[in-house]
Amino acid sequence: MNQFGKILKFELKGYLRNKVFVGITIFLVVSIAIVMFIPNIISAFQSDDEGDVTPSDLPTMLIYAEDESLRDIVKEYFTAAFVDYNVTAAEGSVDELKNDIIAGNAECAFVMNSASSYTYYVNNLSMYDMNTEIANTVLQEVYRVGAMIQNGLTPEQAGEIMSVQIESGTETLGKDQMQNFFYTYIMIFALYMVILLYGQMVATNVATEKSSRAMEVLVTSAKPTSMMFGKVLASCIAGFSQLVLVFGTAILLYNVNKEALSNPLIASIFDIPIELFIYLIIFFVLGFLIYAFMFGAIGSTASKLEDINTSVMPITFLFIIAFMVVMFSMTSGSIDNTAMRICSYIPFTSPMAMFTRICMSTVAWYEIFISIAILIGSTVGIGVLSAKIYRVGVLLYGMPPKFSTIMKTVFKKQ
Amino acid sequence: MILELKNIDKSFGEKEVLKGVSFVAEGGKAFGLLGRNGAGKTTSIRILMNVFSANSGEVLIDGAPIDYDKIGIGYLPEERGLYPKKPIIDQLVYFAELKGMSAKDAVKAVDYWLGRLGMTEYRNKKLDTLSKGNQQKIQLITALAHDPDIVILDEPFSGLDPVNAMLLKDVVKEQIAKGKIVLFSSHQMSYIEEFCDSIAIINAGKVAISGDLHDIKRNYVRDKLVVSTTKPEQIKADLGGACSEREDGSLLIQLASPDEKQAMMKRLVENYDIDEVKVFEPSLNDIFVEYAGAQV
Repeated sequence: MNQFGKILKFELKGYLRNKVFVGITIFLVVSIAIVMFIPNIISAFQSDDEGDVTPSDLPTMLIYAEDESLRDIVKEYFTAAFVDYNVTAAEGSVDELKNDIIAGNAECAFVMNSASSYTYYVNNLSMYDMNTEIANTVLQEVYRVGAMIQNGLTPEQAGEIMSVQIESGTETLGKDQMQNFFYTYIMIFALYMVILLYGQMVATNVATEKSSRAMEVLVTSAKPTSMMFGKVLASCIAGFSQLVLVFGTAILLYNVNKEALSNPLIASIFDIPIELFIYLIIFFVLGFLIYAFMFGAIGSTASKLEDINTSVMPITFLFIIAFMVVMFSMTSGSIDNTAMRICSYIPFTSPMAMFTRICMSTVAWYEIFISIAILIGSTVGIGVLSAKIYRVGVLLYGMPPKFSTIMKTVFKKQ
Repeated sequence: MILELKNIDKSFGEKEVLKGVSFVAEGGKAFGLLGRNGAGKTTSIRILMNVFSANSGEVLIDGAPIDYDKIGIGYLPEERGLYPKKPIIDQLVYFAELKGMSAKDAVKAVDYWLGRLGMTEYRNKKLDTLSKGNQQKIQLITALAHDPDIVILDEPFSGLDPVNAMLLKDVVKEQIAKGKIVLFSSHQMSYIEEFCDSIAIINAGKVAISGDLHDIKRNYVRDKLVVSTTKPEQIKADLGGACSEREDGSLLIQLASPDEKQAMMKRLVENYDIDEVKVFEPSLNDIFVEYAGAQV
């Protein structure tokens, strides 16, 4: 235990003295600080311009119709519906109108063939162009009001019918996926980044010791279990403090800056309930450890640093698959699908899958308990196994050995 | 203190690396572990240091199984290497601490050794800024700083200039004088001959010969004479095939049997102009070639 403490201290010191590690941390903290102050910065610039927005600054939308009364009605309704456009009646022919759009004098145009038929002209159709949907709704309304008046209703009555308000309210009894989506997304992404980044660091760290032959002395001085656990826990502490620093800065600045950041989306990110935060830490630490152990074991089998990238591929794949399953399930909205249910008990995927399900769905306490218990057991098991692989791996030079060969050596009675 | 390896067997998979290796090394004396590349020296050392466990056999200290918590071992591996990018003092203290020293004692011991080897000026430098010979001296400190009972030096002199080699010799002599077991492994026979009282030659996983170096030399069949003469031509012509010239110009005369020794000596002294005649004693090099050379 004494040796373990010394190794932990030495490895931690290594992280703190690593200029890249310190640099990245500072960069992240500064970036977060800038991001958190962006609303303030924007509003500082905007306050002068506010109110100066004139119709001429808005893009032009042209309305064309053979029938002038139709044109005027459509123009009137569209002016009300498209507040982001300067809606103008087009003079001249359809060809002139097209040229205006190509030349950039106008952004788009509606050429009305009749009250219920039109052609939409636009230069480059954006993916998010909703103009035709809006136009359809507006035109339907125009048509319906017209029909109602024709059938003997007064314009006031028609207007009342068209503008009837439905009152509704939603009460979420389980989890509000909309609200939880963003922080779950951010946390899963952070988990993904941190595990891959630090896993690689652990693997490189072990392989560097091996390739620089420092291992020759180390292996005669310290127990492999102490070495492995010391290294992995040091990387875990380093990674975790980095996260705490970055997210701590974010939370601190959010609270300082709460008024400027009134956007409900941002607020939802910082509104993590405390019990979810505790689950987050549990799954984060365990997920980190189980992968770091595997990366460490892999690192010990590589003789050269160049071998690492190929050696860690299976683990990286496993991890990416877990990430993809979770991401697809999150975005598709079916959080509790079969794949996710299975993944929440497999130790390599459960940190992400179970955490997502806890955040975005309702999971029974015993399911969580079983998942965490399996994860803890597997983490300890993988830790011990990785220490054994390490003991065998570090003194093997040359080609990285086959997995089966290592397992045979590890399990052979000594 | 007596260190004994007894009937050590070790195989990696199908490959038998050590087949019943036994030898005895005494405190206050240096022991030479010799053998060609791949003969099993490093594996023997690793078993002795508990990095590998033997398939069978024992490592004994004064007749009892070695207790690794009590017996300190210092090791200078043949494959040198520490952390190239870390300050020297940090890593030396770390290694000493791993060997069980307190942080305070470790710093003190490391500083002593840095001074002893003339390396104090590099204390806070990174290892990879040092020359190869100086890196080697730093590595030597990892083997000695924790004041081990057994010092294992694998090719300690390779890469050292004559001045540093001299310094290392003094350090080694000092360690021997302190009553420690010093275990040498080297291909530079002159150093082994200079330091080691006893040796073991390992060949293909077996001890080909071991024991006191003087005894080994004495037990050699005494059927050759070394003759120094100013006129070798005459002797060569008279003795024909039994006589060959050595590198230093002296002659080596092969006798039909050791019993002929007196007669041949008499004949030589009476008939030729002889400066010196003596029975041939093999050098360690000759012994090594004979016992280790048999390997396929």
